[in-house]
Amino acid sequence: MTSPEHKKFVRSYDSLREIFDFTEAFFEAENIAESTRYPVHFALEELFTNMVKYNPGNNHDIQLDIERGESDVTVTITDFDVDAFDVTTNRKVDTESPLADRPVGGLGLHLIRHMVDTLNYNYADRQSRITFTKGFE
Amino acid sequence: MFEIEIGDEGRVVCTGRLDAAQCEKAQEFMDTLAEANTLDFASLEYISSAGLGVLLKTQKRLAETGAGLKIINVNNHIRDVFRYSGFNAIFDIEASGG
Repeated sequence: MTSPEHKKFVRSYDSLREIFDFTEAFFEAENIAESTRYPVHFALEELFTNMVKYNPGNNHDIQLDIERGESDVTVTITDFDVDAFDVTTNRKVDTESPLADRPVGGLGLHLIRHMVDTLNYNYADRQSRITFTKGFE
Repeated sequence: MFEIEIGDEGRVVCTGRLDAAQCEKAQEFMDTLAEANTLDFASLEYISSAGLGVLLKTQKRLAETGAGLKIINVNNHIRDVFRYSGFNAIFDIEASGG
């Protein structure tokens, strides 16, 4: 077992490839199935890119922690020196309107809730810490 | 890695991973489409919510002229993402393997 692993990433969409390389190496080392990898990558990208999008002037890197448990993977993403933004708050999402009325964007957090098993938010000392788990299928 | 190009039978072939860092490239290509097209996702491994935005924006633009996108060979993960997004009602989608 190699877990837990952690690493900091530059606040940029261009970090996504490095993030996926980091998590793929972890998944390979831990022999984690594709059925778990996709939702973890999806949630991780959504949460990371939200941090990039909403705090573009922040010079702090974003920290990623990933750990394998007996029956799941736990991922924690920490953003430093930011205002609070609780990703677990329910927000209205339109998935039923006709095409012409369907807004572009805003689906990410809604989709995460479908794809992971738990999603938690903690804010203290101007640090946002989001933790999610995905069980093995 | 993400690639998008015109393949056999005039289909738009998408390959690799369509994440937020690749959306500009995808959108630039999709903006060149002027009529109904089929997107072949047989080699598309991954799409994020940012990639969904590219598809939806293109579908809305084409719909103004009565055209639209058909998406074929969708893997199980992407099929689930489409279903959770309500895309089944606004795109013509075929899963991989029939």
